[in-house]
Amino acid sequence: MSSNRQNLASRSGNLVETHTTFQPRVFVFHFIFGAMLLTLAGGLAYQQLIKASSYHEVERVQNQRRIIVPGPRGNIYDRDGRLLVGNKPRFAVVLYLDELRSQFRREYIQIRKNYRAAGDRDVPTASQMEQIARATVVQHYLDRVNAIIGRHERLDATLLMRHFRRELLLPYILINDLTPVEYAKLIEQLPVNSPLQLYTSSERYYPYGSAAAHTLGYVSNNTEIDAEDFPGDDLTTFKVKGATGRDGLELQFDSVLQGEAGGAIYRVDPSGFRINPPLEQRLPVQGKNIVTSLDIDLQQTAEKALGDLTGAAVMMDVNTGEVLVLASKPDYDLNKFSPKISHEDVAQIEKDKAWVNRAISGVYAPGSTFKIITSIAGFRAGTLTPDSTYTTNGTYTVGNHVFHDASGEITGVIDYRTAIEHSVNTFFINYGLKTGVDAIVAEARRFHLDRKTGIELPHETSAMYVGSPRWKKERMGEPWFQGDTANLAFGQGMIAVTPLQMACVVASLARDETTTKPTILHEPNRPTQHTPAIGIPEDDYNALIEGMERVPLTGTARRWGRVDGLTIAAKTGTAQQNVVFPVTENGKTVYRNGTIELGWYVGFAPVDHPKVAWAVLVEGDVPDESFAGGFYATPIATAMLKRWLEKQRVAGKAPPAPDADKPADEAEAP
Amino acid sequence: MRVSFFEMEAPVEAATSYARDLQEYWSLRLHSNDELIEAGRDLARLNAAYELRIQENSALRGEIERLEALLRLPSFSEYRSEPARVVSRDFTTWWQRLVIRKGRNFGILKGSPVVFTGGVAGRVTEVHAYTSVVELISSPNVRLAAVVEGDSRPMSYQGGINSSFAPPMGTVEFMPLDIFASKIAPKRLVTSGLGGVFPPGLTIGYIVKADPSADGLFKNGEVKLDSRLSSLTEVTVLVPINPE
Repeated sequence: MSSNRQNLASRSGNLVETHTTFQPRVFVFHFIFGAMLLTLAGGLAYQQLIKASSYHEVERVQNQRRIIVPGPRGNIYDRDGRLLVGNKPRFAVVLYLDELRSQFRREYIQIRKNYRAAGDRDVPTASQMEQIARATVVQHYLDRVNAIIGRHERLDATLLMRHFRRELLLPYILINDLTPVEYAKLIEQLPVNSPLQLYTSSERYYPYGSAAAHTLGYVSNNTEIDAEDFPGDDLTTFKVKGATGRDGLELQFDSVLQGEAGGAIYRVDPSGFRINPPLEQRLPVQGKNIVTSLDIDLQQTAEKALGDLTGAAVMMDVNTGEVLVLASKPDYDLNKFSPKISHEDVAQIEKDKAWVNRAISGVYAPGSTFKIITSIAGFRAGTLTPDSTYTTNGTYTVGNHVFHDASGEITGVIDYRTAIEHSVNTFFINYGLKTGVDAIVAEARRFHLDRKTGIELPHETSAMYVGSPRWKKERMGEPWFQGDTANLAFGQGMIAVTPLQMACVVASLARDETTTKPTILHEPNRPTQHTPAIGIPEDDYNALIEGMERVPLTGTARRWGRVDGLTIAAKTGTAQQNVVFPVTENGKTVYRNGTIELGWYVGFAPVDHPKVAWAVLVEGDVPDESFAGGFYATPIATAMLKRWLEKQRVAGKAPPAPDADKPADEAEAP
Repeated sequence: MRVSFFEMEAPVEAATSYARDLQEYWSLRLHSNDELIEAGRDLARLNAAYELRIQENSALRGEIERLEALLRLPSFSEYRSEPARVVSRDFTTWWQRLVIRKGRNFGILKGSPVVFTGGVAGRVTEVHAYTSVVELISSPNVRLAAVVEGDSRPMSYQGGINSSFAPPMGTVEFMPLDIFASKIAPKRLVTSGLGGVFPPGLTIGYIVKADPSADGLFKNGEVKLDSRLSSLTEVTVLVPINPE
């Protein structure tokens, strides 16, 4: 029995499966598998919990596209609310390519089938067939549009391919310049849910063409628009062209006029076609409007009077400094810049030298208009009084140089008022030399003739200067001569100013003050400016004004300067300016030095209660030829004044008619 | 498939419409002789009034033709008027349609303008053998070139999203900024005649609200349509005589 058990036991060791409770080798595998599972779980948790947001971000950037649409620019108005610069709608018919995916695919299959059926050996690549399919489908839609509006437009396949590569999210513009009738036909005959849709954009519109061209400025296309606070900076962004100011008020107030850009964020499919509706959308908002101080009636009057002449005209409100007219000729039609100026037009503007705003960027010797400053310097220095006289024979010799009076008609004993009335150079040379260069220069600087006016316009020159002995030494390395003082006394030589500065000088003189800050912006109740007084006795001031009053009546502007019903204090001026001009010799263009004459006419009106001041400058167009500038400049100011008076009468604000005792009657004398 | 279904369904709807007319006839036959005599007299009076109106209209038409000739104005001679009874109405938020009892059998053409006494009713969108489907101007799928009465600048009119029983409204886009309209001083919106589908001068509705669009280029407005649009029983299709 026991032997049997032993046998069984020994047999069971071979036949019965035995288990051990602890096996160290298995534990190693447990550990390895456990570690692997833990790694997987950790990896999963890392990818799902920690990296999820970054993957989401990658997916978002990959699958979303942003479109930025510029806001229309604000309008620019004149002081009476007349539109000077606005926006004009531009109608286009566009094709939403994302709605044509299935049609592209069908066309592609058809083209491939046709090639295979034809057994053509020269089979295009798949990419080429895709392009052919796209062009065919788009041309089909263009044909539908052509049929409705009666045009014969053809598709530019290159542009289409570029659009597919770069701007797939934006609608493809088929025709960009629809007339109102074409637009109406398409409204009525295109199905509402067609991939063809009407699209409006805005372009700048200048109702008055070239009027105030330099002041208003122009815009050019800009693709660098940005939508502030609109999300999706990191997304691939398509920007619809906007406009940015390049000159004039368009440039100066670009940030104000610029509208608030809108935009939309779309999800796109793997081919880049957008999926509607947008995930986010914001409409563009128009920019703010600007009301200028310009009076378009007066502006147009000035420009018409300037005609084909080269020059500038400025008229301003004496009390507020608001600029009513800021004209510069030659000019250009602003509508040529919209939507884009041609190379031919640019070349013509350059040929005409029309880019320059001569009213604020041109610097010229002020000529005899500077005698106003010489007079004030003399009064203040005590070297000149209203009763001062000078006996002239028409010439004045300083050193080796003989100065001549412009007309040469006035000889004998000349009093101060007559000297102003007839612009007698020898009188002012005499008293200028007595006053001295330092006092004259100081006076010119007190009237801010040596610095910018600070008008709210770009490109105001800083090239104006009032030369002094020190200035000449530093710039030219030469000493100051008495002849320089003589020259300066009647506005020649070491001085150059802009027409706007001269308008400010006469506006200041009209208020018996020293400076006027011009502004191109209109405020309905802008207060009168107050700056330091000129500081000369009343008799001296009155003598100067009386002399200026005689100018348009019996003086140098007597031929064209009178305006019925208006008292005027004015001063003419003629100056010479050095120029380099081209001359054709033996078929070649060579450049020569020469001089052109400048004609000035400055003043203010009415004399008793001054309201407007002006400065007109006309450049001679033929070098080395005398052109009697006042002859051309005076009628321009007269035209402006007549129009201004007419408007004042209509508004019931006309100044009282000149007193019978005033020099107006004297003017009737021969 | 849809068109086939509609073709099968249309005779049923037309038959229903005829049955309704028959029902009205028998309901009238149930009246007493006195009532019928009285109704006959009323009808005679009405006919006489209509006769008078026809004569007046004839005189007015003659006057209009004379004035048109004098001013060299075009008349609507390029359209043939085809009056049609309304078979059924189908109003949802997304479309507002009528089925009329004339189709290819009367030469109705797809796209033809449809008018009623209040002005534009809509446009034929489907033409079947005996019936046609008219999309009403209150439907967002209808768009046409409109002008404010007395103005010549075209703008885009489109039907609005109208719920079934709400007063019908439409929207107008690309309205010039110098046109002002409000509930107190509404502006009459008429067809421009420039779009090539609708003749000019037909009333669409009244602009009762006009607000500048966000881009400042135009105004957008709301147009109040004729409330009778939802209860039309008869319309006139203007079938182009020489369709392009």
